Parts: sequence; structure tokens; C-alpha cells
Amino acid sequence: MSTAAPAPAPVPLPTDAPASPAAASAEPGRLARIFLPNRAVDRATAIGLVALWAAVAFIVWLVSPWESLPGPGEVWRAFGSLWWEGGMGPEMFTTLKLITHALLLTIVISMVLSYLTVIAFFRPLVGAVSKLRFLGLTGLVFPFTLLTGGGYALKVSMLTFGMTTFFVTAMAEVVMSVPREQFDHMRVLGAGEVRIFWEVVVRGTLDRALDITRQNLAIGWAMITMVEGISRAEGGIGALILNQNKHFHLAEVYAVLIAILVVGLLLDYLMGVVVRVLCPYVSLDRVAR
Amino acid sequence: MTTAGPPTPPSPPSPPSPFLTVAATATAPPPAGEDVLLDVRDVWQKLGGNQILEGVTLQVKDRVRPGQVTGQVVALLGPSGVGKTRLIRLISGLDRPDRGHICGVRACALPAGSVGVVFQSYPLLRHHTVLGNMMVAGIANGLPREEANTKAQTLLKRFGLDQRADFFPAKISGGQRQRVAIAQQLMRQKQLLLMDEPFSGLDPAALDDVIKLLIEVAHMDELNTIVVVTHDIRSALIASDTVFMLGRERAADGHITSGARIKHQYDLVAKGLAWRPGIEREPEFRELETEVKEHFRSL
Repeated sequence: MSTAAPAPAPVPLPTDAPASPAAASAEPGRLARIFLPNRAVDRATAIGLVALWAAVAFIVWLVSPWESLPGPGEVWRAFGSLWWEGGMGPEMFTTLKLITHALLLTIVISMVLSYLTVIAFFRPLVGAVSKLRFLGLTGLVFPFTLLTGGGYALKVSMLTFGMTTFFVTAMAEVVMSVPREQFDHMRVLGAGEVRIFWEVVVRGTLDRALDITRQNLAIGWAMITMVEGISRAEGGIGALILNQNKHFHLAEVYAVLIAILVVGLLLDYLMGVVVRVLCPYVSLDRVAR
Repeated sequence: MTTAGPPTPPSPPSPPSPFLTVAATATAPPPAGEDVLLDVRDVWQKLGGNQILEGVTLQVKDRVRPGQVTGQVVALLGPSGVGKTRLIRLISGLDRPDRGHICGVRACALPAGSVGVVFQSYPLLRHHTVLGNMMVAGIANGLPREEANTKAQTLLKRFGLDQRADFFPAKISGGQRQRVAIAQQLMRQKQLLLMDEPFSGLDPAALDDVIKLLIEVAHMDELNTIVVVTHDIRSALIASDTVFMLGRERAADGHITSGARIKHQYDLVAKGLAWRPGIEREPEFRELETEVKEHFRSL
């Protein structure tokens, strides 16, 4: 007969449970949350953080020791001078007209090409257009000048080309990644292929198409100074900044840069409003972090 | 009871689709008998070099109870990965079998759109509200907008979703999505409704609701047939009147040696285990459940 060995003393198991009820309810405060990883903050705190960082940036600018960086006062005076005497308003309008024209053309061309990916025959063509984004714009100035005759048409075509290659890449990916279940669902409901295309591909991806438009507007806006520099005769904000560069008007250059940034942000905000108005369901899909 | 009309010639083939990539064509077999609502005959399907289905044969016949409208609830049981969803795709006309025939009550071709399918993830169009999704289903089936709206409102009320009509799918619960998905299929009179794993991920109360809903929908019309594809044995036995078990042959070492076919069939009506509330409390039910579980292990 064997005897039972004495039972070992119970060893407390490691646990994640808090030591006391007080510790369980100890949620980090609002201030602590902004420094902890993976925490959500409320809207007021988020706005406060943006304001804080903007203030820090402004103070750094104000006390900056660099000679090449004009102070805020200088830039503000340069902005006033450019606006009232340098024709910045009309130049900005010229640029906005150019980017709008190019963006509309980009949307039409890119959407048609992207939607064509549902047909196998066109997929290599769409893939080829997408690959053209590696070409870059600089080397294309000459052939595009010959094709368009230069001037405004050249700028529109350069911008359109630049944006289209990126737009098609992103949008074709969106169309190709629509789950097969969505198509099957519509088929079992009895929908025809045209209706399926409209509901699943066109309307079903509208929010992502608008998001891509928003990104490409930013890409186009970033390219604008370079494109307007190619042919300065029509003016534009790009021509204005290059003229100020030429005469080493540093304060004016910074004033134009800030104007470009502010208008770019405004355009981005407007695109965000368009997405929210046309696709109200998008905000429901996004889980707050 | 209503009886099936005379068999009609097979429907013409649907036009080629830019999205659909199926190649096989089935020649029309002789039509099934009038009391046969679904006839799957010797269906074979290969996928990526693997024989998924190997001679699947099953028949669903009209159940008749004098003085009562009696639809059919059929359970197709099988372990994960056995080919249940593949069979659903074939029956619904989304894919075509490599070999064999699938016939409905009136026609030997079941083109996509003639059979209702409620997919496991209940896909709804996220850019439409609940009502909008219902309308899309109605309009897709040729209903005029006004009529589609009226029918959608009626169905939403019947399914307890009228308060959610203006909600987008992202704002409703999983159970509500399931009900919308079922209601969508009822926008047009379809006598065959296939449901892929309708019991998965449900709490006990929701499970009871879904079973009641299935039985209610099935008994809306004498020729209604709901095929529930599941691996939830208990729920399948409670809800259905016929159970088919889809499985594969195995060697002595457990190695799978064939594609899937129907290995067992239970007629719960003949056993007196259908159409009775609280049937799960009966000893015979528990015995059957044990037997089915035993068989399930060898599938």
C-alpha cells in the first residue's frame, strides 16, 4: 500500500486583478491619459492638444535664432504687401482654377479606368497606367509641351497626368478588393450585372473614391508650384513664389508658403465635409480609438 | 396544401457576366416529380485540384398536413470545411457543378436570383439604410418603387424592424442584420431559401428567436423550403423536419479518402420529432441527438 505524499502548500497564481477595489476604479485622469499609449481623448482635449502644439511652434518661430528664418511680424507684413500690392489674390484664384480643372479631369479619367478593372480585358491597361507613376514629371515636360503647345494646357495636362497615375493605383485597388460576397449577395437578390455594378462598385466605393480624391488633391496641390514654374506667363501662386525666390525676398517666400499651406488645409477640410455629407454612414464604420 | 404545377421547360441560360467565372454547363435532366421541391442529383465539384463534392444526392419533398400550411425546414449538417457552403453556392445558382443536376420545383435550372440565400456574414449595402436595402432587393426583382416601399415597410414591421428602417447597417446589431437579410429575400416570392450558418455566434435567447423565425418563414407557404447549413446539431434538430449529413469517407488511420456526399439522412417527421414545441425536452430527441453526434464525429 502506498501512502499519499503531503499536499504542497498552495502557490498563489499570478493575476492581473487589482489589489483593491479602489485600484480597480482608478482610471487615469484626463491629463494622464494624454501621455498613456492607446488611450482615447475627448474632443475638447484633442482640440486643446492641437492648440498647444500650434502655440509651441509659434513660440519656437518667435525665438528662433536662425537668421534665414524671418520673424512672424516680417512674414505678416510681407503677406499684406503681397496681398494688397503683389496680386496674391488673383494669383491664388488662377492656381485654384488650374487645380480644379486638373482634378476634374483626373476624377473622370481615373474613375473610368478604375471601374474598367471589373472587366478582365482592361486590367492590363489599368495596371500600365498605374505603373506610370514611377516616371516622374520632370522628364515629361518636353513631350507634353509638344503635345499641348505649352501654357495653361501644358500645366493642366502635367497635373492631370501626375494625379491620375496615383488616383488609378489607389482606386483600382479599392474596386478589385470589393468582397465577392457583395456581388453574390446582389446576384441572389436577383439584380442584373449593371445594377450590381452601380450598387456595389460605384455607390459602394463612393466614400473611398472621395477619400482618394482628397489625397490626390493634396498630391496635386503639392505639385502645383513645380508645375506653375514650368510656364510662368499665366501666373499662379507657383509663379509668384518662384519670382520671390529669384529676388531672395525671404519673408515673401514664407508668406506665400503659409498661404499655400492654409489654402491646402482649407481644401482638405472642404473635401472632408463633402465626404461627410455624401456618405454619412462612413462615420459609423470608424471605430473611435 | 397547394400542389406544384406541371413542370416547365428549363429556363434559358443567363447572359455571360463580367464578374462570374464559371465554365461548366449542365444538360437538362428529366424534371423531378411534382412533390419534389429540391432535387440534387449526383453533384460533383472540384476546387483547386481537390474533389470537394463527390456524388451528392438529396431530395426535399413537400410535407403535407391536412388543413395546415406546412413548409419545409431542412438541415444540412457537416463539419467545417466539408463543402457545405460550396453546395449552397451550387444550389443557389452562383456556381455550376462539374457534374450532376440541381432541380427546383418548377424548373431544372436554378439560376442565381431564383433561390434566396442568407450568407453567414449577412452582407448588406452599407450605403443604404435598412429600408434602402429592402428597396434595392425589391427593385432588383422588378417591383415598382412604390410597391417595393410598401412591401418593405410591411416586412420590416413583421420582423420587428420598423423602428430601425432609417438606420444604416453599421448601426444595427448582428441579430437585426440577420433579420434584415432574411426579410430582403422575402421581397420576392422565392420558395427556396438557403441559410449559411444561421445559428453561429448567437446567445441562447437569440438562438430560440432565430429558430422560431425560420419555422415562421417556412410555414408562410406550402412550397416554402428553408435549407439550413450548419454544424450546430441541437439547433438543426429542433428547427428542421429533415436532416442530411454531409461527410467524407475516411481510411482506418483517419485520412480523408473522398469528396463529400450525403452519408446519413433523418426524417424527423417519420420519427415524430418535428412540428412540436419543446421537442428538445423529449427523451427520443435526446437519443437522436446522441446518435447524430456519434455520426458527426465520423464525418
